[in-house]
Amino acid sequence: MRDLTQVLKSAAACQSKVLPSGLTLLVKPMPDYSGAHAIYATRFGSVDASFTLDKQDGRGPVRVDLPAGVAHFLEHKMFESEEGDAFALYAKTGANANAYTSFDRTSYIFTATGKIDESLDVLLGMVGKPYFTEATIAKEQGIIGQEIKMYDDSADWRLLTGLCQCLYAAHPVRSDIAGTVESIARITPEMLYACADAFYQPANMVLAAAGNITMEQLEAACARAGLNEPRTPFAVTRLRAEEPLAVARQRLEFSMPVAKPCLGIGFKETPLPEGVAGLRGRILCDLLTELIVGGTTPLYRRLYDEGLVNPEFDGDFLALDGCLCILFTGESDEPERVKDMLLDEIDRLRAEGVDEELFRLNKNRMYGELIQDLEQIEDTASALANSFLHGYTVYDELQTLADLTKQDVDQALQTMLSRERCATVLIHPTEVNG
Amino acid sequence: MERSMLAPGVYLNTIDAQKFNRCRISLHFRFPARRDRATAHALLPLVLDRGYADCPDMTELSRRLAGLYGADLSVDLTSNGADRVLSVSVCGIRDAFALDGEDLTAQYASIALGVAFRPYLVNGCFDPEAVEIEKDKLKKRLQAEINDKRLYCVRQARRKFYGDAPEGIERDGYLEEVPGVTPAELYEAYQEILRTATLDVMVLGADPAAVCAQLEQALAGIRREPAALAGPSAQPRGLPRHFVEKLPGVTQAKLCMLFTSAAPLAAEEIDVCRLAMSLFGGSTTSRLFLNVREKQSLCYYCGSSLQSMVGCMTVDSGVEPAKAEQAQAAILAELDRLCAGPIEDEELEDCRRGLLSGLESVGDSLSGLENWYYMEICRGGEVRTPAQSAARLRAVTRDQVRALLARFSFSVAYLVTSPEGGADHA
Repeated sequence: MRDLTQVLKSAAACQSKVLPSGLTLLVKPMPDYSGAHAIYATRFGSVDASFTLDKQDGRGPVRVDLPAGVAHFLEHKMFESEEGDAFALYAKTGANANAYTSFDRTSYIFTATGKIDESLDVLLGMVGKPYFTEATIAKEQGIIGQEIKMYDDSADWRLLTGLCQCLYAAHPVRSDIAGTVESIARITPEMLYACADAFYQPANMVLAAAGNITMEQLEAACARAGLNEPRTPFAVTRLRAEEPLAVARQRLEFSMPVAKPCLGIGFKETPLPEGVAGLRGRILCDLLTELIVGGTTPLYRRLYDEGLVNPEFDGDFLALDGCLCILFTGESDEPERVKDMLLDEIDRLRAEGVDEELFRLNKNRMYGELIQDLEQIEDTASALANSFLHGYTVYDELQTLADLTKQDVDQALQTMLSRERCATVLIHPTEVNG
Repeated sequence: MERSMLAPGVYLNTIDAQKFNRCRISLHFRFPARRDRATAHALLPLVLDRGYADCPDMTELSRRLAGLYGADLSVDLTSNGADRVLSVSVCGIRDAFALDGEDLTAQYASIALGVAFRPYLVNGCFDPEAVEIEKDKLKKRLQAEINDKRLYCVRQARRKFYGDAPEGIERDGYLEEVPGVTPAELYEAYQEILRTATLDVMVLGADPAAVCAQLEQALAGIRREPAALAGPSAQPRGLPRHFVEKLPGVTQAKLCMLFTSAAPLAAEEIDVCRLAMSLFGGSTTSRLFLNVREKQSLCYYCGSSLQSMVGCMTVDSGVEPAKAEQAQAAILAELDRLCAGPIEDEELEDCRRGLLSGLESVGDSLSGLENWYYMEICRGGEVRTPAQSAARLRAVTRDQVRALLARFSFSVAYLVTSPEGGADHA
């Protein structure tokens, strides 16, 4: 085996800096590229539903409890200011901008080929400075209500949310990222300002960029935005209700307009720590799903040849603060049989160990995917931001994967993917009038 | 891009892509859609994707690709107007990243060309067992169309729009015809494609000489007789037709509106098309986004796109069932205002700036580069670089945009909605 240390270090290398305000800057200059992609992200997502905030104003910690969907709602509101809409400002630079909210983070992004400094000014100017009136909140409730309804029509999304509701009794992962029409109706300006104060502090955020861009450009933009000055951070404590390891509910069935029954099988696992300590567990989860039902496995082949699932049937995992679950989803005319086959295969692998050759091949595949993620400016900036927010580096990922052995997977199987901590979601097709 | 003809209708296209971590080799077979072969054509990529003569077993092929660091093999059939494009692509990391110093690119070429030219045959025909399994997959895919309501609505609208025209031949085939497709018929369709399709091989970041040598060997036994392609077309004008389909359990209604230019658009008009779509509904500074979505809150999404090969403009939107009629009226009003009302300098330049930025970044991804040049080839005429198109885009005037949009007539509206919501016609 060649020593690729230098090649990989070079591929995964980036420049980093922490500003006096606490904001972390990460940049991977890629001068051969025309464009630059920037991500300004905060560790604040839909699962941050309760917290205390001490603004050092003598009042002490104040508890804030949020209805579902606030992080996503706030993301929408960041695009507005007294001067107008951020999209209108980006239109002057030619940048393509967007934002997204997940369970544990909110990210604001742009891609641009020219006027990159001006685009950075728009990005840093809009994020963290929410502006809203009663009227704009009401309008947003209408738009997000439509977004919620669109997701309600997605069987894949309903499987995911259904599994989370089955597996978890108290964790906020039970709630949809966008909330419900009812929950977002309860959002108040005070809640939004409290979230901005708590989670949009520079020390809780990262500005990552890749492409035709330099650290000097990021630093200069931050200086213009006042992010170079030291700031005394507000104290924030995330509050989590006790979550048992047992599943909340073993089964959920409902109907919606789909052509075939849709099946979701979820396993609740012990949550992973943040940082490098949890990275090994993340990679194990990824490998496990591939070794159980990935395209190289005998189970996938049986399911495929017998026409028991759609070709997209696969496994994935969700790792958040206080939550780790492994999920298998797809369509099947015989969901109970597929579930039995999946559970039997997990039992077999637990008893016999995973195939050495399949382990090697899938490890190779993951290595290739990590290299692939460092190719395009969007993927590279995203990899930098994601790894930072999880508390490790891109190179840590390559190194941890390289160190992983078949024995690690076999050992993990002894405690993970237990039948006792398994839940099933089944979506039945409703009658359609064709 | 360098382009050379290797055989009648066979072209090797080499694109400089050394800066990427991966390389990519694609073969695009372009041929006219045929109603009698539609289901066989739809089934073909599923069967080819399973393996080839040197690696007949699909699981073994998956393992070979995993061993090549997760190289991605894709076999797809896409529509290009009334033509079909059967594409075989392999994309994987470059040799420099191979842990054991393997010659990866040679193996990528071998797999791509093997899948395209050396299928696994049983008694001189596709493997009957594989064909039966893939027929079942195709059947399920066709039955599952309704799962994605947005796409389903667009497809239903297109069915009404094209009727029996060649452009309306179903890319995914016809459910009722799937059981009747035989391995022999499938193999005949495949052989016809090898013989008559226009083939463009795209090589990005890999050694073109190695691909060329293997390609010439693969072509040696084929008597090439390239057939004429369908080329640009357009549907005639007529009175707008409205269709409503009510599905139980639909939460957000989907509205798709199709417009025809009645006469084919010229390849040279593509830059005008781009700016027109950006202004109408293809960007966050468009009229549909700013007015119909943001100001009037009538849709969660509302965007337009233009299929220049068939002179068809599509507006698709997600709307509250009760507001479907209002949304449709608002969309038509925005089109009228663009055609007859003022277009401010600011909005025109905002849209142009966004498009220019997009053109400048085409070279920042392998897929961007490949799609760009292959689309240029398909459009016919001069193959332009993104920079050449940018220069033309800078010269497009608002009058050209207006004139282009004014050529489109409202033809079909299709609404998928809940039984409780929406009127009987949109």
